[in-house]
Amino acid sequence: MTRIITRKDGSVWVERFTPIRRAEHILVLATFVVLIVTGLPQKFEGPNANGILAALGGLDKTRWIHRAAGIVFSIHATLHIGVFVAGLLRGTMRWSLLPTVQDLRDALGNLRYYLGLQKEAPELPKFDYRQKFEYLGMVLGGLVMVVTGLVLLYPAALAAWIPGALIPAAFVAHSNEAMLALLVLIVWHVYGSHLSPEVFPMDTSVFTGFLRKDELRERHTKEFRRLFPQEPVHPSPAAPEAAPTEPAK
Amino acid sequence: MNSPLCKIPRSIAICAAAGLLWSSAAVAGDIEDSNSACLDCHDGEESAIHFADGATLTVGISADAWKKSGHAAEVRCKDCHAAIKDYPHPAVNFPTKRAYQLDRAQSCKRCHYAYHTKAQDSIHAKELAKGNQKAPTCTDCHGLHNETDKADRQAVTLRCGACHAKIAAQYALSVHGEAWGKASANVPMCVDCHGAHAILDPRKAAFHTRSWDICSKCHADAEKMAGTGLSTKVVETYLDDFHGRSNERYAQGAGTPGKPIATCSDCHGVHDIRSFRAAKKNGTLQSEVIVTCRKCHKDAPPAFADAWLSHEPPTLATAPLVVLIQWGYRVLIPLIMAGLVLHILLHLWRARVHR
Repeated sequence: MTRIITRKDGSVWVERFTPIRRAEHILVLATFVVLIVTGLPQKFEGPNANGILAALGGLDKTRWIHRAAGIVFSIHATLHIGVFVAGLLRGTMRWSLLPTVQDLRDALGNLRYYLGLQKEAPELPKFDYRQKFEYLGMVLGGLVMVVTGLVLLYPAALAAWIPGALIPAAFVAHSNEAMLALLVLIVWHVYGSHLSPEVFPMDTSVFTGFLRKDELRERHTKEFRRLFPQEPVHPSPAAPEAAPTEPAK
Repeated sequence: MNSPLCKIPRSIAICAAAGLLWSSAAVAGDIEDSNSACLDCHDGEESAIHFADGATLTVGISADAWKKSGHAAEVRCKDCHAAIKDYPHPAVNFPTKRAYQLDRAQSCKRCHYAYHTKAQDSIHAKELAKGNQKAPTCTDCHGLHNETDKADRQAVTLRCGACHAKIAAQYALSVHGEAWGKASANVPMCVDCHGAHAILDPRKAAFHTRSWDICSKCHADAEKMAGTGLSTKVVETYLDDFHGRSNERYAQGAGTPGKPIATCSDCHGVHDIRSFRAAKKNGTLQSEVIVTCRKCHKDAPPAFADAWLSHEPPTLATAPLVVLIQWGYRVLIPLIMAGLVLHILLHLWRARVHR
């Protein structure tokens, strides 16, 4: 299932994100940025907020853009979760992005390794616990934003179905969840995908779709073992990289 | 030290100052002499000016009232009645009494220019400019020949009511109007909300959008609200919710609202401002509030009124969900962020320092 390609320079690359997932990432990136830029000046006031509102053509236009982006985000979120649940049920998708008990063990093991209490870092799967945390946060936080956003978009109509007290609650939750999402993105995603010494300046796999084989071996050893069961995980440092034994597909 | 005064020799400056003092004393006597010449005839005089439309205006004034007015010591009759130089006076050629009065009021700006420019921005000046001669000018509120320093607040309010009778009747029945005549000096009157000179058109969107700020002048002021039993958090809580936040942004220049967003007067009334206290006591608040919601949210179901958090900050008793969610995030956000930052620092430490 997993595509493995050899580029002209002889390097071997393992597919990590199919084209549709890469497109999804770009869509989330775009909607997230638009939602943050149009949402922050609604939450906070001051000269900066007024500057953004003025640049976007006033509060009404800013809200229109925010709602349009929110609807795009909501449709995407619904489709994504729907396709994923269907894929899991039909057995065409792996549980690779959802947390397992093993992830908890990996997290504790990794922390022990950081603290020097354990010699080797745990071998991590295709998506490690740090990435799963972010994905799960994105999906669950996204769901909170979609549901509360819908309540704020049609408060009077929805009051026929839900208690009225949920409307101000949705207001508070929408605003706070957005702050949490923004902070996690700024700290965790920017570190994990850009500033971390392992990937600095940038982990490009979510755009190119492929991760180099040696990076996979180093950072996602368990997945490396699954894809290349015959190969050693710890090549001798003297041995040259890219042994020409890989299949092209 | 660039002032031209510095170049004038001191002796000359002193002489000039002394001269000014002397001349101002002389002017005061002068004014009295000049005016008493006019009052000799006009005090209580009953003859009248006849206008083309048949209206008349007596030329008599009360010398007693004039002497008590703010102008008596400083203004000559001729300063305002500039056309009159001598006796016999030139004929008054105005088609109507009102046209004559409006023309006379033009002399106020010769001294009170700042108020004149303010009043030029008012809806009244715009109406006058359009040719609506019923709109008031200076003398209609301040009086003629009996002006005092500060116009009497109640008298001015009654003066507004003389033209705006319907509104005056509504106001009289409102919580504000009810307090009229009671000892409290804090009763808001027309000019407190609309302004005295620069009276803006209250039908314009800009007025509606900013009107909460008018109410906040008194309702956010603990001193003025003392003894009324009213919350001073009304404006703060309003600005915290969707409506207030929106109107605050519009007021700060974020465009104009495509459709008006509720402000104080939309729920409480404009001139017929009412109290929700009885409804609160009787437990009928929700059914009364929903009526105000439906002014904008047409078919809102009764449950929609429960979205309203009242004018007190939410508490665990009044809005448990809001408070719990707020506190949940107040704990969750720092906790998650601290955990993530700690993880990052440990990773960096292991990768860079503690290899």
